[in-house]
This record gives sequence, C-alpha cells and structure tokens, in this order.
Amino acid sequence: MSFARRFFASPPAVFGFAVFLVVVAIALAAPFLFARGPLSIVGMPLLPPGSPGLLAGSDVIGRDMAVGLAYGARISLLVGIASTCCAVGIGLLLGATAGYYGGWLDDLLMRVTEFFQIIPTFVLLMVLVAFLQPSLGSAVIGIALITWPQVARVVRGQFLSLRSREFVEAARVIGMGDVRIIVTQILPNALPPIVVVSSMMVGNAILTESALSFLGLGDPNLMSWGSMIGGSRVAMWVAWWTTVLPGLCIVITVLALNFIGDGLNDALNPRRRG
Amino acid sequence: MKLGYIAMRLVKTVLITVAVVLLSFFLIRMVPGDAATVMAGQAGYADEAYMKGLRAEYGLDQPLPVQLWRYVEKVAQGDLGTSYVRRQPVVSVILERLPNTLLLNAFALLVAAAGGIWLGSVAARRPGSAGDSAVTVLAMLFYAVPQFWLGMMMVLVFAVWFHLLPPFGIETMGSDLTGLARLGDVAQHMILPGVTLALYFLASYARLTRTAMIDVADQDFVKTARAKGLTERQVSRRHILRNALIPLVTYAGLQASLLVGGSVLVENVFSWPGIGTLAFQAVWSRDNPLLLGIFIVTAILVSLFNLITDIAYSLVDPRVELGR
Amino acid sequence: MPLLSLQNLTIALPQGADRPLAVEDVSLQIGRNEIVCIVGESGSGKSLTAHAVMGLLPRGVMATGGSILFEDADLLKESPQAMRRRRGSDIAMIFQDPMAALNPVMTVGHQVAEQIRAHRAVSEHQALKQAEELLGQMGLKDPRSLLKAYPHQLSGGQRQRVMIAMALSLSPKLLIADEPTTALDVTTQAQILKLIKRLQAERAMSVLFITHDFGVVADMADSVAVMRHGRIVESGTTRQVLGSPAHDYTRALLAAVPKGENYLPPPAQAKALLQVSGLTKRFRRGGLFSRASAITAVDQVSLTLSRGETLGVVGESGSGKSTLARCVIRLLDPDAGEVLLDGADIAHMRERSLRPLRRRIQMVFQDPFSSLNPRQTIGDIVTAGPRILGEDAGKARARAAETLQLVGLKPECMDRFPHEFSGGQRQRIGLARALMLKPDVLIADEPVSALDVTVQAQVLKLLDDVRRQMNLAMLFITHDMRVAAEVCHRVMVMRHGRIVEEGPTRDIFTAPASDYTKALLAAIPGRQSL
Repeated sequence: MSFARRFFASPPAVFGFAVFLVVVAIALAAPFLFARGPLSIVGMPLLPPGSPGLLAGSDVIGRDMAVGLAYGARISLLVGIASTCCAVGIGLLLGATAGYYGGWLDDLLMRVTEFFQIIPTFVLLMVLVAFLQPSLGSAVIGIALITWPQVARVVRGQFLSLRSREFVEAARVIGMGDVRIIVTQILPNALPPIVVVSSMMVGNAILTESALSFLGLGDPNLMSWGSMIGGSRVAMWVAWWTTVLPGLCIVITVLALNFIGDGLNDALNPRRRG
Repeated sequence: MKLGYIAMRLVKTVLITVAVVLLSFFLIRMVPGDAATVMAGQAGYADEAYMKGLRAEYGLDQPLPVQLWRYVEKVAQGDLGTSYVRRQPVVSVILERLPNTLLLNAFALLVAAAGGIWLGSVAARRPGSAGDSAVTVLAMLFYAVPQFWLGMMMVLVFAVWFHLLPPFGIETMGSDLTGLARLGDVAQHMILPGVTLALYFLASYARLTRTAMIDVADQDFVKTARAKGLTERQVSRRHILRNALIPLVTYAGLQASLLVGGSVLVENVFSWPGIGTLAFQAVWSRDNPLLLGIFIVTAILVSLFNLITDIAYSLVDPRVELGR
Repeated sequence: MPLLSLQNLTIALPQGADRPLAVEDVSLQIGRNEIVCIVGESGSGKSLTAHAVMGLLPRGVMATGGSILFEDADLLKESPQAMRRRRGSDIAMIFQDPMAALNPVMTVGHQVAEQIRAHRAVSEHQALKQAEELLGQMGLKDPRSLLKAYPHQLSGGQRQRVMIAMALSLSPKLLIADEPTTALDVTTQAQILKLIKRLQAERAMSVLFITHDFGVVADMADSVAVMRHGRIVESGTTRQVLGSPAHDYTRALLAAVPKGENYLPPPAQAKALLQVSGLTKRFRRGGLFSRASAITAVDQVSLTLSRGETLGVVGESGSGKSTLARCVIRLLDPDAGEVLLDGADIAHMRERSLRPLRRRIQMVFQDPFSSLNPRQTIGDIVTAGPRILGEDAGKARARAAETLQLVGLKPECMDRFPHEFSGGQRQRIGLARALMLKPDVLIADEPVSALDVTVQAQVLKLLDDVRRQMNLAMLFITHDMRVAAEVCHRVMVMRHGRIVEEGPTRDIFTAPASDYTKALLAAIPGRQSL
C-alpha cells in the first residue's frame, strides 16, 4: 500500500486532515469574509451567540467574537508552523552533525539539550519574549529557541543508529563522501520519526503561543485565541462563550494536528498489528 | 560503589547549576529596562541622585564581569541577592512560596502517574478493543487542551456552576484554621489546580504505559513465562508490567522541568501562591535577582530529582550499572 | 501408544499474510523415550507446529483442522486452564535466543523457582533449593551464587542451561526444543546438544527438536520429519532419511549441507596482493566519569593474500574476525600495524589519499536485510560507486545490467526496491555492487550466515565462480568451519583477537595442530555421520 493510501485508511487521520484544512481555509479567507478587522467594536459588549449579526456573540468590550476567532486562527497557524520550521531546521542541522560525527560535537550537543531539560523553559520563553518585546516575531523566535533541542535529540538518535547500519558502511566502502552519505543514505531513512515529531510540535507551539498571549506576552496589536481567553477572565462567570469558544478552537486545531501526527506515524512505520 | 556514583552525580549537579547561573545571568541581563528606573518608579522618586544611590546599593554601576563574580560569590554562600521590587532577600521570598509549588507538583505527579499507568495498562490488555480506543482518544484530547483554559473550565464547572470546590487560593481567606482542619482546607483548594496540572501528564503516562506494555508483551520472555504454565495475571503483573515500568521511570525525570513551566499558568489561573506566580511577576517587573534566583533554585531541584529517578532506574533495571 | 500424535494438523495465518496456511495436513508421531527432529528451512512451518503443541500460537494464528493427541487427550480441545496446567509440567519448551527468553529484571533463581511454584505447593525457600540442585545437574558451576544472578550477567551457554533447567524442573514427559542452539557458538552448541542427549537418556523423556541443520539431525534424532511450505515431504528413521532420501527436496537439502571434504589446494605461488602485518585494534569503554577499560579486539594479526586465492578467517563470536575485516577495509582505523595493498600502506592513510584506492578493495556484508538502502532502487545502489568515480551514468547502467546477469539476476530488477527481493537475491545484489568497481580484493563478511542452507550453497558457488572468473583475492570471514572448507584454499583460525593456527585447508581439517582448532572441528554437528 502506498504511503498516501495507508494514511487515509485511518479515520482519525482523515478527520484531522479535514479539520486542519477547514481551519487553514478560514484563516486564509478571514480578511475576505469579514468587512472589518477583529479589533473594531461592533456593538454592545457581552451579547450571547445568536444575537443579531453576531454568530459567536460579542466580547468584553463589544468586539465581534466570530471575527476574532477567524483572525486568531491566522496567528495560531502562523506561529505554530513558522516556529516549528525554524526549530526543525536548527535541530536537523545540529542533530545530524552531532549524530554522524560524534566526538566532542556530540558531547556538546548532549550537554546543551540537558541544559534545556533542566531549566524551566517556559519561564525562559517569557524572559526572551520580554527581551525582544512581545510580538509575532518574538513569539516565533522564542518558541523555536526552546523547542529545537527536542528535534535535535530525535535527529541525533536516528543518525547515531543509522550510521552503523550496513548499507551506510557499504556506501563508505564504495567511496562515498560524508556529506553525500548524510544526504542520500541517512536522511531519507531518518525522516519518518522527524516528520512525526514535527507535526506534534506544531500543535505544541500553538498551545505555547496561546499561553503567552493569555499572560499578556503576545503581540498587543493582534487578536489571538490566547489573548481572547485572557481578556475574558473578568467576564467568564457571566459570559461563558467568551472563554469557551476560543478554547474550543485551540483544542480542535491541536487535536486535528495530533491526529495527523498519529496517522503519519502509522503510515510511515507500518506495524504487524495495533 | 553506589556512594561514589552519588557523589559524582552531585558534582555534576553543581556543574550544571554553575552553567545555569552563568547563562541565565547573561540572558536576564539582556532584558531591557534599567532596574533602577523600575525601582525608582515604584518608590515614587525619580530624581537622578536617588537612582544613582540605588545603582550603587545594588552594584549596578559596576562592569558586568564584576557583577557576575560578586553574584557567583554570593550564591556559593547561599545568598541569592535582594529582590528589586520587594526589597527582601530573594532566598526568603522563594522559600516562602516554594513549598506551595512543591505540594501542588507532588500531588499532580501522583495523580498523573497513578491514573496514567492504570489507564494505560487497561488499554494494553486488549489492544484494538473499544476500551483501548476510548483511552487513546481521551489521551489525545488531554494533549490538545491548553492548561490555562482547562483550569478556567474547571473553575467554571466545579466552582461557579456547581459550587463543589473553591475557585482560587490555597486556603479559605480570612479563616483561622489549624492542624487537621487546615490540612483539609488546603487539600480542598488543591484539587482543582492539581488535577488541571496533572491531566496533560496523565495522558502521557497512559500512552507510554500502553505502548511499553504492548512492546514488552511481544518479547520472547513473555512466551517463556506462559510456557512455564503461569496464569495470565501472573504473566501480566510479574513479567509485562515490571518491564514496562522501566521507560516510565525515565519519563518521570523528564517531566520535572515541564511541571514548573505548567505551574506558571495553573498558579496564575487559580491564584495559587507558588513560585510560578512569582516568576510571572518577576518577568513583568524586571526583577532580575528574583528571576535569576528562581532559575537557579528550579535547576537545582530538577537536577536532584533527576538524580533520584536515575537511582530509581538503576534499581528497577538490573542491566544498568551505576556509573555506566 | 505414542506419547504425542499430530494428526492432519492445519494452522491458518491471519489475513494479509503471504500464504493462507502456515501448516497443512501435518501428521507426526513421537513415541516415549524418543528424539524426533523436524527439519526445514525458514518459512517451512516447523516452529509454528511446535508452538501449536504448547498452545502458544501468536495472536491471529489458529489451528483450524486436525488434532494434537497427547497421551489420550486432544490438546486442541482442552480448556485454557487445563492447557495451562500442562504447560511446564507435562510438556515443556525451550526457545532459540536465551537472552531474549529470560526476564531481564528477575534473578535466575527466582525464574526457575517460579516455574516450580506454579505447579507445586512449595515455599519460595524450598523452590530455590530445588532450583539450585537443578542448575548443578545442568553442569553449571557454583549454582548457589548463580541463583542471585541476572540473565545479562551470564554467557549464552549458561543462559541456555538455565532455560533447560527451568524446562525440566518438573520432569515433563515431552520437551520441545525450538532451534535451541542456533544462536550459540559452535563449541557451546556441541555442549548443549550433548547435555540434552544425556538428560533425555537419564529421564527417559521424549524430545521434539526443531532445527534447520541436518548435522544436528544426524547427531541427535531417532526419527526425522522434513517440512517444506507447511507440509511434511518425508519422514522416517534418521538412518532411512539420511541414508536413502526418497524426496527430491530432502536430497537437495542434504546436498546443500557443506561437507567440508573437497579441499581446494592453494593456487600456484602468486605475488602477494594484500599484506597485513601486526594489525592491532583496541576499543575503549567508559566516558568522563567512569573507569576506562580497554578490549583488544585484534591483537598483532598478520596475513597475506594473493590473486585467485581465498583465505578463510574462522572464529567464534568475539574472536575479532569481523573487526579484522573492517580494519583492513578501513571502516575502522587500526591502532597499529600495516595493511599493504599492492605495496601501498592504507592502514593509516588519510581519507583523501585513501579515496581513489578504495575501489580496489570491496566488501560483501552479512545481513541481506540491512546492507541495501531500503529507499533506493537496485540500479541506483549498484551504479553509485562507479558514478562517484566519474563514470557516465548511461555507461554505468549498461555495465550494471551485465554485472547483475553475472550474479544470476535479470537486468529488469534495476528499477525495483530491495524489499521486493529474497535474502539470497539481496546478497547477489550486494555482490554486484562490489564487483561494479572492478576490485582486486573482495572481503566477504559472513556472506551466507543469514541464508537458508539451499540458498547458501548457491551463493557460495557464485562467490567461488566470481573469484575464479575475475581472478580476485578473497578474504572470507565465517564462524562455520564447514562453509570455510567449501570455498577456501587456506584457513586462519582466530580466537580472542589472535591467530591460533593457519595453513592450507586440508591440513587444518585433517591434521589440526592446536587444541582449539581440534575442539572447533569436534564441535561440528554431524561430522561423523554425514
């Protein structure tokens, strides 16, 4: 069975993929779907969903919740995907080099990843974002900087084990150079777990970004799901939709991404039975 | 032999702490905003002479390497400096709040481990069954939920709608309980934030346990155990579970630092007076000594916890010799 | 009345397997006090038949027809509880890999005691005492301290003895042994086989012995059944089947067993192409914080190799033969010594100067399942070497087609992937990859150890033909003396990193000088009878 067929054979993976596509579509279409941006006030505050013209109700100061949710998708997806790409890029480079060449490079990488495992990375993230001034860019950079060690560990592990496989030894024997071996022999075989980890990381990055925004460390000029939840704290007890709806958006998006990750895992490493 | 290994690990802990101190020192120094300005602003004075006095008092007018050296000296003596904002020694500020965070985290760890392992082993007993799928879906759900939002939902449901549990704080305000009654009050307050903190890790434990048990069940020695005529329960308990626990011990070590991170959010939502809230306040108020102090204390605690789990690992897996 | 009687046993595989039935219509009888062997290649169904008797078929695999009669009861119809009571007490089983078959986190004594206590009402203390006695009976020294040991602290042979002790602790009437010596060194294998034979005679026990090695059959079995593709093709007493095999397949199997009789004479004195002297390789263990310990894997080894000749390097695991091969081909860097390839010392050359010389010395690897990149086509794999040296891609492909035909494969396979080929075919592809560079020296590192015996014979013949046709100098690494005798002109015996003995094949086999070589030769199963 080809990879695509294996992936789509699993119902959760299909569900996840479909939901993800919907979220992406909404995010891309947001500026065209709504006449005004998410920050403009459209009416009375704290109107429940279903009120005239307000599909999802209005928030604490009277902004349209639906518009906010749609624009929030843009932020979450952007930060999630961008930070993961950066983290994977760094992690791949460092992990591959350390795993293949070993020696002091590998020791150094191991010490660095240990360091990141011991310090409270979320606190570090807060400090970094504060240092760089809270914005979209600082969120992406900050999250990338605290998550690349995870990727590097997985990549290193893969390279370490593949390096001593016989087909890699055979490549050395026929005279292949190091770089060529890394790119043509090891990397294609190391990709499956890296791909799976990456898809999970997008979900985690979205959760982290929403946590930052919730605490007030997100971009102050942009509306994100986390900041919507943060802003709803005062009104939560009387207007549940201001808290519940953005949270549900996060849950559904991250869940979809995790289903995709699981589907990728099953499709790339077919096992005998579940 | 074992004592030598422990001594070596303690040395390693010290080395890592030093690395944390150095790197964190520079990182936090980079946060813009002159501390003196912040402090002066808080005190209400803004004139230059006062700020100059503040800088001299806190040694901020010295060159960076000198500041670093003086700081390291102090840390070695157990003095983590003075908080800019609270004008109190950092050590005492942290020690005031630390037990609360430790209490919360310990409770969360217990709930996560016990619940997760139980769920995971139930799922692994019959892979592919409805029960197994249910556990997997539940685990995936917990992975996708933001902790702070979950906390707020818990407050909404259990405190606001059903008035079952208190929504915030560590004790009932203004109450004067002592002894067992106080313990009970704290315990009541601990349930919501503790469970919130635990749920993500519970999902992890469940998945890990399930995978580990399925992998172990495939191994030859399980076949041998059956060939010996043992009952399924004996095989499951003595052979499968016992071996599946090994990777779980490693995981416990890994999640230690994640717990502190999660603490920041959960403590914030539930107004739990721990070092998570402290860290948050320190970031906002540019209170560098306090922030640095929290980093160092956390690093030491996590290192020690890792040492404990390493020792536990070597006890659980006889193939591992201490000292590698 | 026979002790065990399989009647028309049929075992079905789950959907999606490469064939619907693993075992089809198999009938077999084992009498009391008798050793019966089931012999076959991989995929013959012999192992599943054994598992079915114990009721240990894997999930999804089921017995769908026939019966298994033990004394009078049909085991297939027994309740799970009744079957569980029989396991370990009436019928016991030992498996192939003793390291994997013992619980790594339980002491040896505890595991043996566990079996006893599963069926008898004795205290832990009493069970441990019985365990101690059993371990002593198995020939294990110092059984009392062994009780507290963990499996990873024991050697392969010791572990297998522990497994046998466990299996025999309740004096079962039938012992099933599923390839119990395949994962062991040849000298250890001989000891374990002797042990099983002795115990069988002492206890008048029946043994069902699964194996792929006819030599073992010759040494052990009273009767034998030959299985292929799930069916029994021939059965009878050992003397009958080995002396006058009726079925073609049996004959082919027997012919494929390397006899080690036609000794190749060393070729006429030719100039030495490869000269190794004083080669030494040490491995250091231990990192920053622990005691460093060094193992000398290869210790002052010297050898010469000329064109047109095959030198065999024989040794058990840990002898250093694989490390030696890897040092010669510079996959590992030797610590000391010279490797002269046509005069040039490649032992300590820098990679850049070494690169152009690499094509002259090539290697065929052991594991057909990991020596080919699963994500590359055969064509890419085989033409990679020449293309790196600058050869035009089109020309390389044309040559690849020829080379593949030389090794017995069709050129069409160039566009397919490794997983579409069998083990034997993959070894041929590996050989083609090496030959494409037109090497002078070919190192074959256990090239047939992972192959079935009929395939093994074909690949050995191919290697010999290729050597002759291309006038190669071949270094042949193996743990199997019989295989060495088939293709090597000279043989070198290694142990613990040193050369124990060396000389023309005939001399080594007919008049070995060292005790170790004598022990190796004596340990070959079936040496007397085949």
